[in-house]
Amino acid sequence: MAVTLTEAPAKPVMDYHSLNAMLNLYGPNGEIQFDKDKEAAKQYFLQHVNQNTVFFHTLRERLDYLVENEYYEQAVLDQYSFEFITRLNDLAYSKKFRFQTFLGAFKFYTSYTLKTFDGKRYLERYEDRVVMAALSLAGGDETLAVDLVEEMIGGRFQPATPTFLNTGKKQRGELVSCFLLRIEDNMESIGRSINSALQLSKRGGGVAFALTNIREAGAPIKQIENQSSGIIPVMKLLEDSFSYANQLGARQGAGAVYLQAHHPDIMRFLDTKRENADEKIRIKTLSLGVVVPDITFELAKKDEDMYLFSPYDVERVYGVPFADISVTEKYHEMVDDPRIKKSKMKARDFFQTIAEIQFESGYPYIMFEDTVNRENPIAGRINMSNLCSEILQVNTPTTYNDDLSYDEIGKDISCNLGSMNIALAMDSPDFGKTIETAIRGLSAVSDMSHIGSVPSIEKGNDASHAIGLGQMNLHGYLARERVYYGSEEGIDFTNIYFYTVLFHALRASNRIAMERKQTFAGFRDSKYADGTFFEKYTDRVWAPATTRVAELFSNAGIAIPTQADWAALKASVQEHGIYNQNLQAVPPTGSISYINNSTSSIHPVASKIEIRKEGKIGRVYYPAPYLTNDNLDYYQDAYEIGPEKIIDTYAAATQHVDQGLSLTLFFKDTVTTRDINKAQIYAWRKGIKTIYYIRLRQLALEGTEVDGCVSCML
Amino acid sequence: MTLLDKVNSAQHDPAHGGKVKLVSSVNAINWNRIQDEKDVEVWNRLVNNFWLPEKVPLSNDVQSWNTLTPEEQQLTMRVFTGLTLLDTIQGTVGAISLIPDALTPHEEAVYTNIAFMESVHAKSYSQIFSTLASTPEIDDAFRWSVENPNLQRKAEIVLGYYHGNDPLKRKVASTLLESFLFYSGFYLPMYWSSRAKLTNTADLIRLIIRDEAVHGYYIGYKFQRALEKESPERREEIKNYTFDLLYELYENEVQYTQDLYDEVGLTEDVKKFLHYNANKALMNLGYEAMFPSAVTDVNPAILSALSPNADENHDFFSGSGSSYVIGKAEMTEDEDWDF
Repeated sequence: MAVTLTEAPAKPVMDYHSLNAMLNLYGPNGEIQFDKDKEAAKQYFLQHVNQNTVFFHTLRERLDYLVENEYYEQAVLDQYSFEFITRLNDLAYSKKFRFQTFLGAFKFYTSYTLKTFDGKRYLERYEDRVVMAALSLAGGDETLAVDLVEEMIGGRFQPATPTFLNTGKKQRGELVSCFLLRIEDNMESIGRSINSALQLSKRGGGVAFALTNIREAGAPIKQIENQSSGIIPVMKLLEDSFSYANQLGARQGAGAVYLQAHHPDIMRFLDTKRENADEKIRIKTLSLGVVVPDITFELAKKDEDMYLFSPYDVERVYGVPFADISVTEKYHEMVDDPRIKKSKMKARDFFQTIAEIQFESGYPYIMFEDTVNRENPIAGRINMSNLCSEILQVNTPTTYNDDLSYDEIGKDISCNLGSMNIALAMDSPDFGKTIETAIRGLSAVSDMSHIGSVPSIEKGNDASHAIGLGQMNLHGYLARERVYYGSEEGIDFTNIYFYTVLFHALRASNRIAMERKQTFAGFRDSKYADGTFFEKYTDRVWAPATTRVAELFSNAGIAIPTQADWAALKASVQEHGIYNQNLQAVPPTGSISYINNSTSSIHPVASKIEIRKEGKIGRVYYPAPYLTNDNLDYYQDAYEIGPEKIIDTYAAATQHVDQGLSLTLFFKDTVTTRDINKAQIYAWRKGIKTIYYIRLRQLALEGTEVDGCVSCML
Repeated sequence: MTLLDKVNSAQHDPAHGGKVKLVSSVNAINWNRIQDEKDVEVWNRLVNNFWLPEKVPLSNDVQSWNTLTPEEQQLTMRVFTGLTLLDTIQGTVGAISLIPDALTPHEEAVYTNIAFMESVHAKSYSQIFSTLASTPEIDDAFRWSVENPNLQRKAEIVLGYYHGNDPLKRKVASTLLESFLFYSGFYLPMYWSSRAKLTNTADLIRLIIRDEAVHGYYIGYKFQRALEKESPERREEIKNYTFDLLYELYENEVQYTQDLYDEVGLTEDVKKFLHYNANKALMNLGYEAMFPSAVTDVNPAILSALSPNADENHDFFSGSGSSYVIGKAEMTEDEDWDF
């Protein structure tokens, strides 16, 4: 039958969103249309950015305007002469920076750059943001400012979102992204926690709380039985607090809660993420993490029951909160102690339940408590992690007076992060200096951060100067060098790369300690001070096992530290100490890896063309870095690569990282809970410290897919 | 008369042969004797895809909702009332009316699942309304949907065929509804999400699309199996009927689209999307495309957003994503714990 149709209109220039989306649709010859994304980036500037950027005739005019109108912080600029700022500005612009993808540019202008207060016009280009970040972090040190510009504009070092977003701005949130707090088993502490959740969400990124110490549902209050409501109502309060506060609208407050596997409320805790959970107990936006000790694996191996212990009784028997004892060490003692109320469940059922919930929601994260504490060089106990499961530091409890004032302020954790782009770091003219500049930049963030509203955080930061140097673009680098992710060479590279980074990171921290004649508090009690930390590096040779990796390092002109180098470093550290209590942590790197044209963290790509969805940017398509129609083979995605190779790669890196690494496991939806459990057991055996999300990929039922869609193809 | 009254009265309307026809005899479904593997495959997929609107943090969209202009807000509300009506029809009449025609007992079970999920969808829109808008605004949008002749006409056409006596025609009507009629509405949340607006609402809609894609495909598949058994003349009749019905619906849909989208200037783009989905519906029924590719070049941002694959890499801080499913539980064995 005939259908009358209106005539198709002449094609106007496509808008940038449509051009970008064409990345996800195959071209006429079945090729991925990379040029459409380049065109999208170009059109984004032509159609949007250039028309909406405030124009200034000179740098002087620009800076004066921004200071007078309270956009820039005058104190930052006052540390330098105008001549120097001009030179630095020229240096940044001389590098001819260009965004490699539409998403990179879009993300930068949507979320990072300085805008007029009405949010309508842009006041910075990428170079301006880099210069302002360098000027802030260098604190008046011209050499460091130049080094930071070189590293940032060269793409080798990228500060984390809160730092890159906020530095130098007059109206801004904090520079620190990440906070971890304990909650103790009393109302004062719970109340303070809600307050801290509000204050910290207002100022920075994510906040994690340890719930392990809170007594379980039905526990006695003032010796009267069946009084406590347990942890769920506390979770609800926290969730609502996070939704209320956000960083000047920059992003939703986000929170995580961690619970010990042997806490009696553990099943209620997990069930909050069930698909059919009642509205009263369902937790939508709070992230969950479970702290799993070795003993739980031992019990599951023997297919025995696992006992859950009342934190209320444990604290009375041992005189310390539940989170401060090792469950593995005290397990049998607690089982035999009649003063401690307990319940039990099958250990294997516990693991299976975790996997079921992960299927439905991606949660919980897992922290392998005993692995983490064995590998911790710092005196004290680690009982929780953070929102991205890469921060692993010691903490101590805070106690309160009756009037809610502080009795003794304990130590809580903040951590500022930044990541190296592995591919560009390997291209660095001076690898050691690249790492050192990054360490100095991150240390500056710690020095500049003062969270007065949460004294335990401020105290912890002042004492520890902890930082977390991360890494990203591992898969991009390997593919560029035509090495398969998870292959023998890929794992060999990861090992030697992280080994070399650790050396330079420690040396930089040691140099800062020497310059300032200051170490972190507690250095004397650390494994760095007694030298045991260095044994694994001075007692044996670490060298590439494959010729390809040896070649990669020698071609790059990067020297691999020798035993003699380590012996010298050990002597210097033992004599002068190091400035930072913690040095490395590998975050998942979402936004910054798009700006920096990297693959996220040290994961494999989730897809050759990634579909990225966020509150602020909507749904956007991102091509893997260095991907062309000729090297598609090297971009096997995480679902194809499978959990074992990812775990092997992470294990190679983990042995050189003092904190943790956000490790996401990817599964096809044909797996069962047993497959997820097997991967968890494998990760634990390989010395992995934490597991972040479980991601599942469900493919469209055959016959229902959108034709010619790149991300649908395997 | 409210929309629901309309659906209810249609159910009992003598002009449509009295009550909706029920299955005359019931045998216990034996899932160990499968006649058509597709039944199991689709059943499993639907069960795995089970979800409830409470899982999506819609309230995170409130800020974004407030950035829409009043016209855009009104459009969005109207679109969702339209979708509510279609899902109500499909849940209370459509899927149920297919049960008596089922070729296998397992097919009946699949329809009951479809019917239930359609009711979940209908409720989901209410969830969106009550999160984003005030009661007078909601009532206003529902009033519009009752008064809009094109929307009402759409409902009447489909309802009419559900009450007809021809099982094949019922399947055609149902497939066109699942694969074609919904999409003028689905366009908008996909459009918003490509512009970083109402992204959590879009997540919820994508869950609905994930379901509708399977529903349309399955009913179309069953239609093709039934059609194979018919005579050439009868096949010709059904084909003509299908294209006539599609054209009737298409003309009405164009009017409806104009009513909705003219004010914001998206009508041309939505029409392309209609063409694309009309072809898709025909494909599900085993027929050739009706619209040439020159008029089906949908905005790529919408097309890419439509993929029912659960493969996006979402940011957990701002949404829950549409990729998680109910998993298959399996006990670990001793060998797994060999360390």
